[in-house]
Amino acid sequence: MVISIETKGVWKSYGSVWAVKDLNLEVRKGEIFGLLGPNGAGKTTTLKILTFLTKPDRGSCKIEGLDIWKYPLVVKSRISVIPQEINLDKELNAYENLLIYCMLHKIRDKKHKIEEALRFVGLWEYRKEEIRKFSLGMQKRLLLARSFLNDPSVIFLDEPTTGLDPQIRREIWTFIKKAKDKGKTILLTTHYIEEAEYLCDRVAIMNKGEIIACGTPQELKNQVGLWVLESLNDAGFEYEFFKTREEALLKAREKEGPVTIRKSNLEDIFIRLTGEKID
Amino acid sequence: MTDFLPILYRELIIYKKRLLKLSYVLSALISPLIYLAVFGFGLGENLTVTGTNYITFLLPGLIAMTSMTNSYIWIANGLNIDRLYFKTFQLLVQAPIKPIAILMGIITAGIIRGLFASSLIISVDLLCCTSFYPNGIFWLGLLLNCFMFSTLGVIIGMITKSHEETAIYSNFLMVPMAFFSGTFFPLEKLPFFVKPLIYALPLTYSTILIRKSQWDRVALLSLFITIGFSLMFLFLALRLIKNYKE
Repeated sequence: MVISIETKGVWKSYGSVWAVKDLNLEVRKGEIFGLLGPNGAGKTTTLKILTFLTKPDRGSCKIEGLDIWKYPLVVKSRISVIPQEINLDKELNAYENLLIYCMLHKIRDKKHKIEEALRFVGLWEYRKEEIRKFSLGMQKRLLLARSFLNDPSVIFLDEPTTGLDPQIRREIWTFIKKAKDKGKTILLTTHYIEEAEYLCDRVAIMNKGEIIACGTPQELKNQVGLWVLESLNDAGFEYEFFKTREEALLKAREKEGPVTIRKSNLEDIFIRLTGEKID
Repeated sequence: MTDFLPILYRELIIYKKRLLKLSYVLSALISPLIYLAVFGFGLGENLTVTGTNYITFLLPGLIAMTSMTNSYIWIANGLNIDRLYFKTFQLLVQAPIKPIAILMGIITAGIIRGLFASSLIISVDLLCCTSFYPNGIFWLGLLLNCFMFSTLGVIIGMITKSHEETAIYSNFLMVPMAFFSGTFFPLEKLPFFVKPLIYALPLTYSTILIRKSQWDRVALLSLFITIGFSLMFLFLALRLIKNYKE
């Protein structure tokens, strides 16, 4: 098992607030790894640390076995970042945006690679259009195209589908799956449960700067129970977890009000571990 | 060595697009042309300053001011917006190039903008057939001036936390410099109590240099002080880029 991304004892604060607390993470080569958690959980800070946008107060980070602060140029040539906020040059057209990226990353055969990337995301016909005329979905697709140009080993995606309609979201998911098929290691942050469940081989659930659970979605569900009994009482919704549906049914008979029995999901694990919902 | 070229290329594409919108050219030139019309042609040939007519005195000062403004403003504003709003500065930080390459790319773009705006004022000079002729010292002074203020633009663009804050710095730094650094009148004529302020301003020395017709002690001193300011700004700007964090 080859480790592609590794953090050890990473701490990061903003003023008196700890954004990340003792982060220990291992992402395997070729997997899609998700950081799941509510806003302010420390997901984006983690990504910023790993992508050179901020420095941790202490701790070490390695990508492909290289300390990112000792070998920044080598590491930067092997990664790609798709940020939550679109960082395309609005005054340039799609082609120019990718051309500048190619130049920054010293990519050879630029024309061919740009055409290939733009065709891959279905934007070749729009290459001469200014970015300001692009819809949000088109801009996200262009970010994806850009991220493939330097043939990175590791791709970081920060909330890749936030604000997108379901159809575009599905499209982006397909592109991410294709990137995995090409052998890329992908670390993404999300607060969408279905996104984490659909895409991720493994998930780390973060809350208040800490990883509170880590494993495959199935492993995490097994830990808390595959079935959920959801009932409504005076205090609000109550969630109880069971290994089998039969156990949940037995318990449901004891309840007076309306109940729902369903399969558990990653949000249930978050609720079980923190007592809160992911917003 | 060539790692700065993509950044310069990006800046030049954007600059070219803006130049094609005529308003950008006009906005760069409107102030110096108004000053030239009002102070230069208004006072005309009748006024003599330091042994020469006023337009000949004023023109190199206006060129120094224009090159300062254009090198500084575009860089400070552009960097601030790229960093805080468009987030495109992230791309440079995450690219496999050294911080010095990022800095040199931005500064070179600033120099080109400063020189371009200055060339338009020089064209006015040539059209008006004044007695001012650019010489070697002038070009060296102009180049250093553009370098110095592009670098200062990087510092301001990196430290300001909003676009409004950049405007405040511009008002407090650029406006006094434009008026008190010998652009419009000889420094000797100014009262003694403002002289310490004037000699603390970097534009004062580059303006002296730009006005000099031959090398002398004052020209050499101004050259060294201008280089000193430039190196100090360069060091600070590089530190800010190296230590960039969000």
